[in-house]
Amino acid sequence: MLLHDLLFRLRALMQHPAMESELDDELRFHLERQTDKYVKSGMSEAEAARRARLELGGLDQVKNECRAVRGVSLVESLVQDLHYSARTLLHSPVFTACAVLTLALGIGANTAIFSVINRVLLNPLPYPNSQELLAARQNDSLPNLKDMQRQTHSFASSGGVNIAPADFTGNGEPVRVHAAYVDAGLLATLGVQPMLGRWISAEEDTTGGARNVVLSYRFWRDFLGGDAHALGRAIRLSDKTYTIIGVMPRDFTLPRELADVFVSLWAGYPEDAPDRDVHSMHTYWRLKPGATLPQAQAEIAQADHRLAEDFPDTEKERGTVLMPLHESLVGNVRPALLILFGAVGLVLLIACANFAMLLMARAVTRQRELMIRASLGARSGRLIRQRLTESTLLALVGGATGLLAAKAGTTLLLALKPAELRLDAIPMDARVFVFVFAISLLTGLLFGLLPAWSATRGDIAEALRENARTTSTGVSRNPLRSLLVTAELALALILLAGAGLLIKGFLRLRSVDPGFNPGNVMTMYLQLPGARYPQIPSQTNFRRELLARINSLPGAEAAMITDLPLAGNYVGHRVVVDGQPARAVGTEPEVQTLSVMGNYFGVMQIPLRTGRDFSAMDRAGEPLVAIVNQAFVKQLLPGQNPIGTRIDWARSNEPHQWMTIIGVAGDVKHSGLDQLAEPAVYAPFSQNDERWRRFMTLVIRTRVPVAGLVENVKKQLWSMDSQMPVSDIQSMDDLLAVSVAQQRFNVLLLGSFAVLAVALAGVGIYGMVAYRVNQRTHEIGLYIALGAQHRDVLRLVMKDGVKLGLLGIVLGLAGAIALTRVMVSVLFEVKPTDPATLIGVAMLLAAVTILACYIPARRALKIQPMTALRRE
Amino acid sequence: MPSRSIDLPQGTLDLLILRTLSLEPLHGWAVSERIQQISSDVLRVQQGSLYPALHRLERRGLIKARWGTSENNRKAKFYELTKAGRRELEIEQDAWQKLTAAVSQILETA
Repeated sequence: MLLHDLLFRLRALMQHPAMESELDDELRFHLERQTDKYVKSGMSEAEAARRARLELGGLDQVKNECRAVRGVSLVESLVQDLHYSARTLLHSPVFTACAVLTLALGIGANTAIFSVINRVLLNPLPYPNSQELLAARQNDSLPNLKDMQRQTHSFASSGGVNIAPADFTGNGEPVRVHAAYVDAGLLATLGVQPMLGRWISAEEDTTGGARNVVLSYRFWRDFLGGDAHALGRAIRLSDKTYTIIGVMPRDFTLPRELADVFVSLWAGYPEDAPDRDVHSMHTYWRLKPGATLPQAQAEIAQADHRLAEDFPDTEKERGTVLMPLHESLVGNVRPALLILFGAVGLVLLIACANFAMLLMARAVTRQRELMIRASLGARSGRLIRQRLTESTLLALVGGATGLLAAKAGTTLLLALKPAELRLDAIPMDARVFVFVFAISLLTGLLFGLLPAWSATRGDIAEALRENARTTSTGVSRNPLRSLLVTAELALALILLAGAGLLIKGFLRLRSVDPGFNPGNVMTMYLQLPGARYPQIPSQTNFRRELLARINSLPGAEAAMITDLPLAGNYVGHRVVVDGQPARAVGTEPEVQTLSVMGNYFGVMQIPLRTGRDFSAMDRAGEPLVAIVNQAFVKQLLPGQNPIGTRIDWARSNEPHQWMTIIGVAGDVKHSGLDQLAEPAVYAPFSQNDERWRRFMTLVIRTRVPVAGLVENVKKQLWSMDSQMPVSDIQSMDDLLAVSVAQQRFNVLLLGSFAVLAVALAGVGIYGMVAYRVNQRTHEIGLYIALGAQHRDVLRLVMKDGVKLGLLGIVLGLAGAIALTRVMVSVLFEVKPTDPATLIGVAMLLAAVTILACYIPARRALKIQPMTALRRE
Repeated sequence: MPSRSIDLPQGTLDLLILRTLSLEPLHGWAVSERIQQISSDVLRVQQGSLYPALHRLERRGLIKARWGTSENNRKAKFYELTKAGRRELEIEQDAWQKLTAAVSQILETA
């Protein structure tokens, strides 16, 4: 029945013209028959027609009734309501602007954050059937990857990639590019095909395979001018010649790596490819259709077990964990994004409360009009519908404006975002539009219904009473408005508390001593091409010469280290300590291994706690020496004098070549300010070099302007080797800032949401007090005329606002204590219920509340008793 | 036009329409004619309210309409009873009979 009704109405709506002409036909037929009847009974044609029409009643009236029955009137009256709303809104532009702006802020902020969430969390990865893709949490080696693939059945394919810099030469200036050293299975696993040519075949991907290269679209465009005949041409990468066999599609990226060229690991590093114990590849896996993650994980665990048995020396401690690729990419940003989304949702609620209060105030000022319409017979249902139409119209306009604000907001977000948030664009797709439309509609209906509903009850009656100028003894309280104000302040406090906690954590983080002095230190990354510097002595000579040349520059002191603190890398090695009981193979403690040259500790101003620094005498052929950090001493040499203790890398060839500890350096936050310092061993480049350790980072403490210095360093470098690119030129201060970019992003966003929330709540309470002052002008005038002091007047008009505000703050505190728990994962060394922060933000909000009450209350002081009374 | 014809009591028009259509599909004009004829011109259908009533019944799914050819070979809209309409007619007829019986009883005895 209901369905039938709906279909009927729908047809009436969709086929409006057809239904109209059918109705015409039906009634015309009736009139003709009736006329015929009367003609047959002897009347004249004209008289018969007149009589027939008369009997039917007004033709238009009948039609109208038929239309009403069809249910079209619903739509027609909606159109009427819209028309009416638009007209009245345009007549009160200030109100309209305030309402639209309030909602635009709330909806805009929500839309911006939702766009990010939509892009990062909701959008599938750009690979076909990406839900089948898994990533291993640990890096692995190529032989292990192959063995695991062979021993398992759940996977359609697997692939690995290791990104290393390569020097692209022979095309003008030397350029450092990101080379992806891959295995052939990688692309099949991702399910992508090259745009031009082909991918590396399985036959080539082995020892002695052809030296081929696949280019990224960007590399092809920038360095080969997008030449369609590039296939078959040769390019030089790190002094080796490769033949171009393919070009990847324009929008192709690896899941987490940046790559300019793709080369088989066997072609790029034939000597390293068979190394089972160098776990340097990110591995990706594609499940067979129907295979499940637990099943795959179980098989991988078995394969791990077998590898550990077969290669106990190196593979004992395996524990490969597979996770969905999407999860592995976004898992670490999800908590922060969801917290931001929750926060911005609270902002919207506050904006909505203000919106509702605006509507209520407007209803009161329009009560005369509403009363007239009611007395003219408009049913209250119709009046509510009319007002809902108005609020929904406002909300939709606010939503559209918010969409524009969100567009600007996402541009800002892109500029602020940390690198961890892999986001190159924030497009607004259909889902975003649906989101905006849905929350606008919901806002308009829900928060329009509240005041509309309350208006049909108390508000108008109250306004009437006030208008009748009865001296209201009771305060003109509206429970809904009080509730809204209280709720706003509570929500604002929760946001403020969240932001306060984040800021406090961020300040703590920034005040963490990194263990070195980042001021005035420039850094740059170099890599010695293996072909030109194949042997350790030639590498050492180059390094020594380069440092000598830079140190001869005025105002510069340079040193070098393998991996810079906070840059995200280090090489880990297991160590054994002379004199300590031998541990089982594979369970020796792992430490950061860093090679240095020059006065590294002096340049970085890392304090030496005991012992001596390296000297020029600590070179190849001399007794091996090492400096360890305090964490090393604490964890590996407890209660022992470190100086003179001998250590060696585990699994090095017997007999041990012991390094003697000559000094202890202060701890450095190598992996991030929020991380614990890990045990580290520093050794001189000249004593602790290996053929593969060809990379280094220059650190230069300067007393001269940086720009000139960088140019001079490059000049010195290129006078020694014109084919060596320099990259990652950045100051230590910048590096430090980048390392906390994610936290800064959270602080900035949550902080601005909190500011927005406090501003909106302040406006809300301000509006309430101002409204009341306005409504009670007469009463206040009388009060002043009776001799009330300023203080009394202030108390009278501020009392309610302050009381509600404080109530809101107390409720907000309770809410904050309950809610800020979700922030644990993004807070640094701050408890989510940190009392100082909670008290601080509560006092701040209380101050805002009092100010927001005071400003309109001052107006009450200016009321002239006589003027007020004359308004009678 | 008979002078002693009476207007239909509120709410009975639907019942009469359903009853009339239970015999055969008819167009609007025929419905009003039939009611008048059968009631020996005692009941007068307000023609202005006939069509809204027909449309309302159609919307409720009690009758359905289709275009056909009238006895004088014109295009006309014919209404016929649906299953739901037939059920509704039985219920309403029953209710009406109970009501009139009760009313007459009161009128006769009280």
